[in-house]
Amino acid sequence: MSDKSAFKILTVPEVAVVDEIKDEIDEVKTFYLSFENKEIEKKFKIKSGQFIMCTIFGAGEFAVSLPPSPENDRFHISVRQVGKVTGALHQLKPGDKVGIRGPFGNGFPFEEIKGKNVIYVAGGIGLIPLRSSIVHVLQHRNEFGRIILLYGSRSSKDLMYRYNIDEWLKIDGFETYVTIDREEPGWSGEVGFVHNLIGKAKVPTENTVAFVCGPPVMFNAVIKELLSQGLSEDDIISTLERHMKCGIGKCQHCAIGRTLVCTDGPVYTYRQIKTLGEQI
Amino acid sequence: MFVLQKDQIEKLLLALKESYALYGPTLHEVSGQVLFDEIADIKSLNINAAIPYNPPKYTVFPQFERILSYQYNKSTKEAKIAMDNLQKPKALVGIRPCDLTGILCLDRFFMGQEFVDEVFVEHRKKMFIVANTCVTPFPQCFCVCTDSGPSAQEGYDVNLTDIGDVYLFETGSPKGEEMAKKLGLAKASAEQEGMKKKVVDESISKFEPVAKENKAWISRVMNRITTGFIPNEVWEYIGNQCLECGACSFVCPTCSCFNIEDVNTLDGKTNRLRTWDSCSFEGYTKMAGEHNPRKPVEDRRNKRFFCKLSYSQSKKYLRPGCVGCGRCARVCPGDIGLPNVVTYIRREITRQV
Repeated sequence: MSDKSAFKILTVPEVAVVDEIKDEIDEVKTFYLSFENKEIEKKFKIKSGQFIMCTIFGAGEFAVSLPPSPENDRFHISVRQVGKVTGALHQLKPGDKVGIRGPFGNGFPFEEIKGKNVIYVAGGIGLIPLRSSIVHVLQHRNEFGRIILLYGSRSSKDLMYRYNIDEWLKIDGFETYVTIDREEPGWSGEVGFVHNLIGKAKVPTENTVAFVCGPPVMFNAVIKELLSQGLSEDDIISTLERHMKCGIGKCQHCAIGRTLVCTDGPVYTYRQIKTLGEQI
Repeated sequence: MFVLQKDQIEKLLLALKESYALYGPTLHEVSGQVLFDEIADIKSLNINAAIPYNPPKYTVFPQFERILSYQYNKSTKEAKIAMDNLQKPKALVGIRPCDLTGILCLDRFFMGQEFVDEVFVEHRKKMFIVANTCVTPFPQCFCVCTDSGPSAQEGYDVNLTDIGDVYLFETGSPKGEEMAKKLGLAKASAEQEGMKKKVVDESISKFEPVAKENKAWISRVMNRITTGFIPNEVWEYIGNQCLECGACSFVCPTCSCFNIEDVNTLDGKTNRLRTWDSCSFEGYTKMAGEHNPRKPVEDRRNKRFFCKLSYSQSKKYLRPGCVGCGRCARVCPGDIGLPNVVTYIRREITRQV
């Protein structure tokens, strides 16, 4: 699926400037980036579902998914602070610099799913990688059938991209359902786990693809529900993460079964995930 | 084919030394081990020495290597990144066919897949290889089972075979041809050329019966590993014996997993190091936030054997990932070197039949 002729930064990172930093939810920030070298800025084209390797100078490098749409969207990454390198990233201020390699990975299908109904099911910060595909599909809304987003998080404070969701709720024909795990004062929306929304939204099963991303517990519950509704294993698509080091299929840290997440993935169908024989 | 007189070996080494850093088997005085090491004094190269304790893998894929360095000035916000790992050309002299096969596997893995590894290319592009036909197999050797010895088939510039009083000098590349010309070597007679087969046959006859008589078992086990018809108990049994020391990966001529680490120096620079890693280490797949998709040791253990003997991995190497050098059997404290794993799986196959 990956386009071999596409421009990629393989070994030596290119320097990018942090233009703006936005606080998202607790421990998650969004960093808007642009390349120092304008030639690279022009050549660097992503596909939704791909990832980059991001160097924080003096701390190390980490793999991160890409939330921007490939078309007319500011380049950015949204990152939760979990370890040493992401911790260092969160210390950065606008004007600081980072290094970027990539983009790597196969990416979400786009041309292949034209004409179909599209369901997005996201849990917590699982919305980050899906955002790229959501925005891209919305930019071509007429070329798809029903477009549905089912999004759940622990509480209203943990809803990622709330400003986007508020816009999406207003878009005619974009069926957006948002739920939080427990009742909360001032919350008038859905309450409960996200897999419960699948029945509520009366999702289509014919000519339909579902993109699923979230923590393993949520993932398994959602898959079970989608399959019981009648979706086929080939039409459930997810993106996996691993502790990647090189991004180009050499270090083998991201090996799952016989595939490498960095070059064969990170996007897999549920049927593929099942045959890999490892935990997600 | 040419003939190299035994006392001409030094001439060959001197000629190589003009343009290459020499690496070859040498006896390490302190430990008494044969190591594949850099040769400063050509007299210390011992082409007839036993199989080196370490494979020459590190000459193309060092255990620690700076792949780039950078400097970031926090006040001016200026970042300078340099790929400064330029390598001196190396000549590997007296490399055994198993180890040469290992390097060819690495070639195909690092340079023949979707992406070319630029760091590896830098090591590999200027290299002169003098292979040496193996006339003395060791108890752990089983290259006859993995089609990687005792005589090199490809990948060399020069291939030497000791046929008694002289070396046969086969050339495998224009660089090798040039060397033969430079040394003014005489052509080998038909009789001398015929000696090679005799030497190789004799070498094969010296292998342990377990290697000689079981050549088909490797392919049988490959079939089992690829199709996944190995009961989990077998992997558990193997996993229970694994001490997770990683020695098997480090002495393996084809193991090439690596880690990347950014290490800061006192003068404000950062070196990006690439270091050997092993899939048997628990932290190998651990992600930030402590989630580790692979936990039990047998789960990690079977990955290594999957990597050596499955079809999907062999597609990358264009051959099995094991070259039959026997080093893993020699270093493993848990006695689960590859030959033993093959034995356990065989036993399972026999039991099922």
